[in-house]
Amino acid sequence: MSRPAVALVDANAFYVSCERLFDPRLEGRPVVVLSNNDGCVVARSAEAKQLGVPMGEPWFKLQATADRHGLIARSSNYELYGDLSVRLMEVIGRYSAWQEVYSIDESFIGLNGGAAAGRAIRDGARRLLGIPVSVGIATSKTLAKLANKHAKAHPAFEGVCDLAEAPPGWLDNYLATHSVVDLWGVAGRTTRRLAGYGIHSMKDLRDADDRQIRRWFSVVLARTVRELRGEHCIPLEGPRATRDQLIYSRSFSTPITDADRMAQVMAVYAQNAAQRLRRHGLVAKTMTAWCSTSWYGAAQDHPSVAVSLPTHTDDPIELVRAATAALPPRLTPDTRYVRAGIVVTDLVPRGSQPYLEPFVPLSERRRLGDTMQAVEDRFGPGTLGLGRAGLRTPPEWAMRRQMLTPHYTTRWEHLPVARAA
Amino acid sequence: MLARVAASGVDELWLLGTVPAGYPSPAQDYGAERIDLTRQLIKDPSATFLFRVVGDSMEGAGIYDGDVLLIDRSIEPSSSAVVLASIDGEYTVKRLHRGDGFVELRPENPRYPVIRVDGLSELVIFGVVTYCIHHV
Repeated sequence: MSRPAVALVDANAFYVSCERLFDPRLEGRPVVVLSNNDGCVVARSAEAKQLGVPMGEPWFKLQATADRHGLIARSSNYELYGDLSVRLMEVIGRYSAWQEVYSIDESFIGLNGGAAAGRAIRDGARRLLGIPVSVGIATSKTLAKLANKHAKAHPAFEGVCDLAEAPPGWLDNYLATHSVVDLWGVAGRTTRRLAGYGIHSMKDLRDADDRQIRRWFSVVLARTVRELRGEHCIPLEGPRATRDQLIYSRSFSTPITDADRMAQVMAVYAQNAAQRLRRHGLVAKTMTAWCSTSWYGAAQDHPSVAVSLPTHTDDPIELVRAATAALPPRLTPDTRYVRAGIVVTDLVPRGSQPYLEPFVPLSERRRLGDTMQAVEDRFGPGTLGLGRAGLRTPPEWAMRRQMLTPHYTTRWEHLPVARAA
Repeated sequence: MLARVAASGVDELWLLGTVPAGYPSPAQDYGAERIDLTRQLIKDPSATFLFRVVGDSMEGAGIYDGDVLLIDRSIEPSSSAVVLASIDGEYTVKRLHRGDGFVELRPENPRYPVIRVDGLSELVIFGVVTYCIHHV
């Protein structure tokens, strides 16, 4: 049995698409979604990109653009995005037996049928969820990521690019003319070190000796070399952090078939996520948890669930409780799960209390924080936490979210309106 | 699996959960599962969205102000289906009517006008209304 190709399916400006789904007035207009506290741009519609709005731009600097070009901003509504993410992953999973969730709006799937199959996914996501997605298809994850980027850059592809359909020599030329800095998982620092070895383009890296690369750099970069040659070998493991989400996922040494064991796994992952949050000085409000069966297995299943935490938190107890309660009941009995992961989103800096400050004795709070930190430094992160971690972060009402839309799909009292007029 | 069980002289209809292949667990015989409305009413949970009705233009179809609509995006809108369509930046519930060379969105209350367009492509239809939850 030959291995299917790998496809990277991701949503275009996911947060903006979620906002548009329930507010048709936003269609065709420049829209951005702002980070917590209405700080910086974390998602841009194509129209906003055309206006030259950069990612990460503080909103106050965009007031002039907003006035002149009608740029619309929305506060980030992670509860809505979390639910639509779960729906999106489920719909994408219908097209493939094998699926690995990569982030809140991206997943890798095994895919037979080339570009036609890719178009079926794009049409399905559009029809069932109203979410536009792009599909990049190749023989490895690294190349699928490149194909996806290419599909987005050129409207003629209509969101679907299968590298198998590229004319002979095209890929060579593409790799020769693009810098390694644009490769998935290659940091700027690595790029500068690679340049020292005369490796500049993606093609240079592909044609390098992967054993040497492993010696000079890492196993991870050596895998990228092999992936560029079309060999699928990068597992999605370990923690990853991006601007607005933190991901922790791993494969198991032995498949898990029951809810109790999965609850244990979730507990460990949630504590790891809590530890990462603390290291970055962040707290989270929304969690997505998922697990999946193997690429090869007969019975395929990839349940996924979104949880809105009671408050912004980095409290391992709170995170563990959420993760263990949410996912295990969704397992199909007697199914062999080989991977699981959690994503936490809606991240804000821990202890940012702009509005609460006057009410809490500063010295007292600081000393408590210092004590907790000292305990953690000595005994490791996660050894001590407050029962109600929310005290250390601004409550919902203190946060600036002036352009927040309702939690349309997760709260009965927030349902969107159908006019009968 | 449906089974008829005699309990204290009264015949009752029990809905039993599916039993996996292999040796059946004796406890399973008593594990009656209650009716799950979500499972009964929602065919495709990922593609189904809930909306709250505001207005009285669809009273003829049994859809009243304050009701909750179940809207399934996986269903192709046929002629005479009740649909949620985007009109002037708002979602509006109407009955779809496909005529010869035109398409109409019809209210079910004589006090409201019919909206007519040249073709289905001119309409943005969010989805098809499958059920209406009405508090009696």
